[in-house]
Amino acid sequence: MLTATPPTHPLAPIIDRLEQGGALLPESAENVVEVVGILKSYGTVLDAYQINLTYIAEHQFLVLFPFFKYFNGEVTLSKLLKHWWHDRINYEFSEYCMKAMFWHGAHALDAYLDSEEYRQRATAAIQAKLKSNPFMGGLNRLFPEFLLEQVRVLCYYSALGQFWNVMSRMFLILSDRYDRGEIKTIADVVDHIRNGLVEAAADPITYKVVIQGQAYEIIPQSAGLTFLMDTAVPYVEAVFFRSFPFFGTVSYNAQAHQISEEQADFNYGALFADPLPIGGAGIPPTLLMQDMLHFIPPYLDEIYLKGLRGRDDMRVKICLSFQKSMFCVTTAAIQGLAPFPLTTTDPEQRQQNRAYLENWMDRFVTSRLLSVQ
Amino acid sequence: MLSILVWAPILGAILIGCLPQTLVAQRGRQISLIIASLLLAYSLYLASQFDLMNPGLQFSESLPWIDSLGLTYQLGVDGLSLPLVVINSLLTWLAILSSDPRINRPRLYYVLLLVLGSAVAGAFLSQNLLLFFLFYEVELIPLYLIIAIWGGARRGYAATKFLIYTAVSGVLILSAFFGLSLLSGFSSFDYGVLQSHTLPLTTQLILLSTLLVGFGIKIPIVPLHTWLPDAHVEAPTPASVLLAGVLLKLGTYGLLRFGLGLFPEAWKACSSVLAAIAVLSVLYGSFAAIAQTDMKKIVAYSSVGHMGYILLAAAAGTSLSLLGAIAQMISHGLISALLFLGVGVVYAKTGTRDINVLRGLLSPERGLPVIGSLMIVGAMASAGIPGMMGFIAEFIVYRSSFEVFPIQTLLCMIGTGLTAVYFLIMINRVFFGRLPDHLANLPPVRWMDRIPAVIVTMLIIFFGIQPSWMMRWSEKTAVMIATERLGRELTPLVAVEPDRVAMDLPLSQPPVALKAPFVPAASLPASLPVLRLNDLKNDVQSD
Repeated sequence: MLTATPPTHPLAPIIDRLEQGGALLPESAENVVEVVGILKSYGTVLDAYQINLTYIAEHQFLVLFPFFKYFNGEVTLSKLLKHWWHDRINYEFSEYCMKAMFWHGAHALDAYLDSEEYRQRATAAIQAKLKSNPFMGGLNRLFPEFLLEQVRVLCYYSALGQFWNVMSRMFLILSDRYDRGEIKTIADVVDHIRNGLVEAAADPITYKVVIQGQAYEIIPQSAGLTFLMDTAVPYVEAVFFRSFPFFGTVSYNAQAHQISEEQADFNYGALFADPLPIGGAGIPPTLLMQDMLHFIPPYLDEIYLKGLRGRDDMRVKICLSFQKSMFCVTTAAIQGLAPFPLTTTDPEQRQQNRAYLENWMDRFVTSRLLSVQ
Repeated sequence: MLSILVWAPILGAILIGCLPQTLVAQRGRQISLIIASLLLAYSLYLASQFDLMNPGLQFSESLPWIDSLGLTYQLGVDGLSLPLVVINSLLTWLAILSSDPRINRPRLYYVLLLVLGSAVAGAFLSQNLLLFFLFYEVELIPLYLIIAIWGGARRGYAATKFLIYTAVSGVLILSAFFGLSLLSGFSSFDYGVLQSHTLPLTTQLILLSTLLVGFGIKIPIVPLHTWLPDAHVEAPTPASVLLAGVLLKLGTYGLLRFGLGLFPEAWKACSSVLAAIAVLSVLYGSFAAIAQTDMKKIVAYSSVGHMGYILLAAAAGTSLSLLGAIAQMISHGLISALLFLGVGVVYAKTGTRDINVLRGLLSPERGLPVIGSLMIVGAMASAGIPGMMGFIAEFIVYRSSFEVFPIQTLLCMIGTGLTAVYFLIMINRVFFGRLPDHLANLPPVRWMDRIPAVIVTMLIIFFGIQPSWMMRWSEKTAVMIATERLGRELTPLVAVEPDRVAMDLPLSQPPVALKAPFVPAASLPASLPVLRLNDLKNDVQSD
């Protein structure tokens, strides 16, 4: 006998839909075009982000004044002018995401970064880096935790770069499959992402730097960190759900304790973000939408231009589509992490799935989920 | 050829009136825009040809009309009227530019706008009292019709109220003109001739009081102001722009030209009363603006307050304060035009002007960020923030009026503070915060909606940084009115050179200026200014 969804749960219809193999985002032709189109653009942007994150992790190792960290090693006058003109990828956004992950933490990765093994490996790399810099060496002896913490941040740079490397390829392949007519529904989109996540689930997350010709493994494969549990899940938690209360996206008075002191209670992530402030200067979502604006496929651009405000509110429309696509990614994560296949007919398994889904739905109550229905 | 400014719009109106119906719908706006553009260009050309060193009338024209009535077609422009003529041409052009291209009954609409522009220009240029009155009355008809036909829900009420008030104003002005002509014994309504009357002070005071009420309705001064907020609220945006920008200036211009110009002794005698009325207008207008919830009413009451500054400066009657009064007329003309243009776009896009309903319109993509920013500039300029022309005008008004009416000036300065209060309330409610969902799908704002406001904003900032380009037209005229009509001493700003000389001299040798016997203003020979003014007029006419 199946357990009925409690009628009081505000998201009960969505639980039903998930149990029938559906997604958080309703099935519709418009949603498919929007989600695939925006993920094509997002995939392109993510690829640029991951290249830069990996570059910073590997080539800006303990460069304490990394003036040219966004240049990926190519420092030319024309690129500098382009950078100042802001006609560029806003790599700052990828750092915001990295900092969100770093601040909210990734369980196993944090455990490793607090281990003695990490300390020894990182110290060896630090020593090698500071060998010809007695001033920094002296400071390191005075404040021995400072550079270790910097290397921890670089580990997150690298981990997020590796995660996005997989995700960007996954989204671009999705777009190619859509172009070939293989993706027709939201369920197809979710399947593609879930399969991609499962396929890469056990991929190792490692990090090594080369200093003066010698490689230093800071996160070895033996640490046992893997793609799904140590980057994907913490990323969804940190960026999709929690994030930061950025000024301009929400109104709050921190002195009046309107911001919870518990990071775990934060709900300012991508699934909760208000699309209307997008376009305002100085807030991370504007940076991402601005980046995606450059790579919108023509078929999606055409749809956007039919909107009431035409090109005036492109970034808001991009954000609305992006949230839809992130609900698809979240659906894939929910399906992938479920104790049993969500469409199971076994009553006992359904019971456990129901509890699992209600737990998720409780977190979605204040999200933008209802507004994309 | 000042007549071009009066008759070219009339010819344009006739042209549009004769166009076939199908062509009017397509071309009515373009034709009126072309005419208004040419008029603006011609006004600027006239300004460029204006002799800055000549304080009297220039480009004078005179044609006999009905001699038995004393009505002659006399036009002329001086430093008092030139800026207003240019502002009238500019705002008429902007009013047409900001009109809805799909407006109903375009033929009548553009004809009325052009006739309005013509009548206002005629009133500013008239040098015959009856001719001024005719233009003053003619201006009433198109504005009444514009409000009554294209106005808001209560347009009938507002238009009728406007008509009654302004008609009463006209009757009072006409009766004062008749009174002056009859009592002075001149059979002429020639402004230059009537200036030489020798009426006793009591008679002057009665006639000036009549004019004060007549023009006071138009300005408007408290408590004659009640028609203005209603008219503004119901008028379409272009009419509000013209109403606040130039039509109210007819009142202050009339007071300066005819009240002060014809009755200088009475003006001096009742100047403290005028200053008190100015304070009342400023404070009442400002406090009333704080209490409003309709954006247009806020700007309308702000106009009541800001017109009070002009009255204060005019009452002070020094050369600097008269310059300040003219500057405030120009400044208020542009700033109120900007604010009404902004409110017009907000209303057109959101369907409301209620500050309790509107919110978050600065939202960068779904709101009205450019219009919101321009309105913030307008509010800053109105509140006298340095760098914008509102500061220049208000600073000159306060700086000069303080010498004559210190208490009244200080009270008026509170009005400037209150301006910041009511505009910040409006800006905060309407533009800041999160855009509510019911306003998240506004229609697009075209550049055509923004361009008029952008042009006015640029002028406000330009004249704030380079005020001499605004003031230089009027400096000599202001000095002449103050010294020759009111017999005022030159203010320190103008007399700065003798002061500097005095500072350089050793104490044993007092400066020449201090050796001269002090002559009170009242003891100056009454005939002197008239003679000098007539001499100037004769010079111009003989040229």
